[in-house]
Amino acid sequence: MKKKWIDTRAKRGLTLGALIIICLALTGCSGSSRPTTWTVLAVGDGIVYAADLEQVHALSTDASDSPDIVWSFPEEPDLRSYGPFYTVTLAPDGGVLLVTSYERTGSGIFARSYGVLRALSADDGTELWPQPVTANGEFVAPGAVADGTLVIGNSDGNVYAFDVEDGSPAWSQPFSTDGRVWSSPLVISDTVYVTSLDHRLYALDLATGRERWERPFEAGGAIIGQPLRLGDHLYVGGFDSTLYAVPLGGGSAVWQFQGQDWFWGTLATDGSTIYAADVGGTVYALDAETGDPQWTRPVSLGEPIRLGPGLSADGQILVLAGHAGTLYALDTEDGSQRWAVPQVGQLASMEISEGVIYVTRIFGDYRVQAFQIDSGEEVWSFPPLESEE
Amino acid sequence: MWELVLSLFINIILLFYRFLGQHTIVAIALLTLVVRLALLPSTIQQQRTAQRMQRLQPEMEKIQKKYAKDPEKRSQEQMKLYREAGVNPLGGCLPLIIQLPILLGLWQSIMRVLAVSPLELMRLSQSIWPFIPGLSAVIPLERSFLWLDLGQPDPYFVLPVLVVVTSWLSQKMLSAPAADPRTAATNQQMQIMMPLMFGFISISYASGLSIYFIISNLATMLQYVIIRRGRFGGSGSQTGTSGE
Repeated sequence: MKKKWIDTRAKRGLTLGALIIICLALTGCSGSSRPTTWTVLAVGDGIVYAADLEQVHALSTDASDSPDIVWSFPEEPDLRSYGPFYTVTLAPDGGVLLVTSYERTGSGIFARSYGVLRALSADDGTELWPQPVTANGEFVAPGAVADGTLVIGNSDGNVYAFDVEDGSPAWSQPFSTDGRVWSSPLVISDTVYVTSLDHRLYALDLATGRERWERPFEAGGAIIGQPLRLGDHLYVGGFDSTLYAVPLGGGSAVWQFQGQDWFWGTLATDGSTIYAADVGGTVYALDAETGDPQWTRPVSLGEPIRLGPGLSADGQILVLAGHAGTLYALDTEDGSQRWAVPQVGQLASMEISEGVIYVTRIFGDYRVQAFQIDSGEEVWSFPPLESEE
Repeated sequence: MWELVLSLFINIILLFYRFLGQHTIVAIALLTLVVRLALLPSTIQQQRTAQRMQRLQPEMEKIQKKYAKDPEKRSQEQMKLYREAGVNPLGGCLPLIIQLPILLGLWQSIMRVLAVSPLELMRLSQSIWPFIPGLSAVIPLERSFLWLDLGQPDPYFVLPVLVVVTSWLSQKMLSAPAADPRTAATNQQMQIMMPLMFGFISISYASGLSIYFIISNLATMLQYVIIRRGRFGGSGSQTGTSGE
């Protein structure tokens, strides 16, 4: 009798356990450390600052095989108190690094996540503000710093401005949009240009946060990339698969180009041509003045491209970060492929500096890597695999 | 194949969203009902089989007692009984096997289409069919509804409570009284544990998913009532779990 009772209890327990595991698996629950967005890096004077989820690292770039860690914040990974860290913004003077994370408070069913912004000393990683700044949503993209003010968008739909010195609000109130702000603002002189998933491109006064244009520019789909400025125009792409050239002073687009899929990343330019890639993996070269295609036909990479293309200093090489992990280099002349480096891990962010491409990755062995732009040869990878240490 | 199923559901949700006033709740509810309706024939077949099996229960018990010490003979006699009654013992399971992946796909596609984070939005971009014009322009979907952000759990726990109540009611309606006390005890426990589990999921995940659970449970109860009162009626039938 007792055995039967135990059997029945065991069966019930197994059934329930299996159901819970199935349900959790189906809803994509695989632990709280699963990233929600991509990590970002910034390149300073001989130092790469990179968010790698658990920590923010300052890495010396003159290393041969593996970079030296100048400092890490926090010193040891501590996801219960800090992080995961996603973005870094280096102030123009190179002295302050603004880092964002998406942190949880409370526990169990009362747990809540919120965006956290901290200011660190770029020299040694110590916290500079008396306390971090928080927002209801996640800070997805890095901010922009100008005139001692950090402007940064948030998933709660607001654009915030803070005094870099002490973290105090720089505007009387944040600027509200009708969608999530997942792009970095672009600051030109005293104007902030920022896009939102509400389909709009806004121009704001850097000092007050008030709108500069009579009405924002409205695209046919959500805009998620930072605008690119060339001459008197701003260039943005949207989820309506369209690229727009918008006058710096606002108004209707002077030209628009219909691509094949969503435009996600920031565009690149050599001064006369606009380079863009869509999430279907197609790369375009367009005349900045007219929007006319410059290559015989667009180049298809067969891999989604989310990050904006990067351009070498001489304008000869266009670097594209494939979403699945491959880094491509195309000749800007005709779009022909110069090299490709297939590796594991989604490419999260990319910066090009002094002939070197720096990338961050998620879901891969390496979090930060450096490649030669001419050859695609790997310069170093971080962290080193255990077998390499 | 699985991605194809998810893409199908995602694009149908987007189509409903685009052409029915851009209300996410309406799109989710309508797809849930359409899928439930499409699965109605297999649900009816499943319930008919369950009813026939239940009618054979007394004779099955007799066979079990009679051949308690001879499993081989017992199995032969049971199969003979099924054959004579024209019942396929797998007839109750097969429709469930067909339904389950479809309902799970529906569940996953709702989670994916709500795309709370940038990673999820990127994933969603790969599921949208480019040959249907205008779908990309509606991304991201409107997530505000009353006090809810459909991409986040209900902060006031109203929806989780509704999920638990409707899950319990549908379980209660669909559970047949079992002759075997052990089966009856297990059924009773499942009637409590399953709704609680769906309640837990509703507390932890997007409230859009809770909306799906509630509509799915209501549709299940409505189906049961209609089938029971219709020509396929009969007392005490048992179907799959709610909120699948």
